[in-house]
Amino acid sequence: MSDRLLEVRDLATTFATAGGPLPAVGGVSFDLNQNETLGIVGESGSGKTVLSRTIMGLQPRTNVTVSGSARLNGFEVVGASEEAKRGIWGTEVAMVFQDPMTSLNPVMRIGKQIDEVLRVRLGMDKAAAKARAIELLELVGIPSPVERYRAYPGQLSGGMRQRVVIAIALACSPKLLMADEPTTGLDVTIQAQILNLLDRLKSQLQMSVILVTHDLGVVATRTSRIIVMYAGRVVETGSTRDVFQNHRMPYTRALLESSPKVASHSHTRLQAIPGRPPNLMKLTAGCAFAPRCAYATERCHRERPELTAAEGPGHAFACWNPLPTTRGAS
Amino acid sequence: MARYLIRRVVMLVGIVFVISVGAFYLIHLLPGDPAVVILGTGDSPQNRAILFKELGLNKPIWDQYFIWMRNILHGNLGTSFISQTSVAGTIRAALPIDLELIVLSQILAFATAIPAAMRSARKPDGPLDRVLGATSFTLLSIPPFIIIVLLVLFIAIKLQIPHTGPSSYVSFSSDWIGNLESLALPAFTLAIASFVVYYRVLRSDLIATLQEEFITLARSKGLSSRRIMWRHAFRPSSVALLGTAGVNIGGLLASGFVVQYLLAIPGLGYTLISAIAQSDYLLVQGIVLVVSVGVIVINFLFDFIINLVDPRISRE
Repeated sequence: MSDRLLEVRDLATTFATAGGPLPAVGGVSFDLNQNETLGIVGESGSGKTVLSRTIMGLQPRTNVTVSGSARLNGFEVVGASEEAKRGIWGTEVAMVFQDPMTSLNPVMRIGKQIDEVLRVRLGMDKAAAKARAIELLELVGIPSPVERYRAYPGQLSGGMRQRVVIAIALACSPKLLMADEPTTGLDVTIQAQILNLLDRLKSQLQMSVILVTHDLGVVATRTSRIIVMYAGRVVETGSTRDVFQNHRMPYTRALLESSPKVASHSHTRLQAIPGRPPNLMKLTAGCAFAPRCAYATERCHRERPELTAAEGPGHAFACWNPLPTTRGAS
Repeated sequence: MARYLIRRVVMLVGIVFVISVGAFYLIHLLPGDPAVVILGTGDSPQNRAILFKELGLNKPIWDQYFIWMRNILHGNLGTSFISQTSVAGTIRAALPIDLELIVLSQILAFATAIPAAMRSARKPDGPLDRVLGATSFTLLSIPPFIIIVLLVLFIAIKLQIPHTGPSSYVSFSSDWIGNLESLALPAFTLAIASFVVYYRVLRSDLIATLQEEFITLARSKGLSSRRIMWRHAFRPSSVALLGTAGVNIGGLLASGFVVQYLLAIPGLGYTLISAIAQSDYLLVQGIVLVVSVGVIVINFLFDFIINLVDPRISRE
């Protein structure tokens, strides 16, 4: 079976800081098939952005150590030179960034920002690149693309800018699209539009998508599998259905309970997760979630649980005191 | 953009008006009768009275200003009573030397400061950045008149390169290679001061820009570092550089004066200093007016360039 697009094995990213090494991501392994959508979920600071950048080799160029392996369509990203990685950026994997207010060059016309990648990476001539850029603007749903081609980012709304960012990402038809919190910086009404656009483009262009978010509502209907991260590690992974309905890790439940649901009665209090995400430089030998966990025992503080397989296909969790399974119960 | 430009032009005209009043009043600020100032104390009262009428000094002061202004707009800055030559003519002969010095020094400064700042910003605190930082600080602390003296000592006197010593100015029309030789040391001296300023301003802006998210996006497009630096980082980082350059070129005229004086290069600076020494007030007035207007126009020009570079600035 050769429809495996991405293989991540024991990937770890550590930043060298003035205060000592900061392990932002540790021991992450997973696979991604072609045309699959994977959700990576976690609080701010859980390492999901660093993970997504490390997978495509886009981590900062200095003061970072990456170990493990990330194979993208046969290309080993970890340890590859910047020059070698340029060969896959844009064409194999592309990224949609979090904040469209800062991710576009403010002094370059948006048409140029799309053109550029077509000309440099695909060797198109000026006229062909322009025609293709306008096509891409149309594809991502920008009205009057011929006029917008000459606009500066500052002349567009946040939602429009994010569409431009998506157009840039799609320019060289990547096989994998990384969407790092693609709707966080946008109005709620625009969020759904952008997510639906990504969905449509995914099936239209036959891409795989990794959707990174803190918002479980975003991944619920759009992904087939979910990875839940905490303090730089995977704490639960499985099919979207298993993670939502049969989660075993208390953190996953806490995360679910802290997001609002349409089905709840009005004025239902949201369950906030007590405490704060841990300081990654002061991690103990135990489970990183233990200090905030209602089920924590003495063992949780002493020993870190590894991922253990659950009944569902590919479902695994890292917990000494898992929640009881609900499989078959309902 | 158009509205912004109109606003700036109106401002420019206002500032030039204020400067012209200041320059006009310069003569009247001097103690004593202007006729005495111009003719000297030894001249006869009759001559003074003739001059008084000739200069229109018996008219109200605003009439005098308008007459003076009308003459200036016709390119007439008066005739020097010391040398009996036209002030405008003297300035016209000297000004190209200043312009050539500025152009040469700025080409040198930008051509070195931009690549140096880019290399520094690529690896802040790296070995190259430290060396360049220390060098620029050292250069910053040596005043231009020391640098020019040292250069003359080594290049003109020890190495005996022609036309580089004091009082060896060659005009462009007679021998352009000799002209470049004679302006090389002063241009280099002025370039050093500009280099330090441009390098430091651009370096810190580039470091900040390179941490922006749009640079990471440019990287994720698979563009080369060189392209990212020139196409994506340089332009948004050059606003402060251009603003500084506008102000700096104005200030350069002043240090240019010192260098011209030391090497006896007959530019505006040298002319101004001799005019002061000879109490040639009309010439002083003319040079002050031309230089002030020049500084304002240069700053206006750089403001305009900044607008082209960063469209966010004039957007309403």
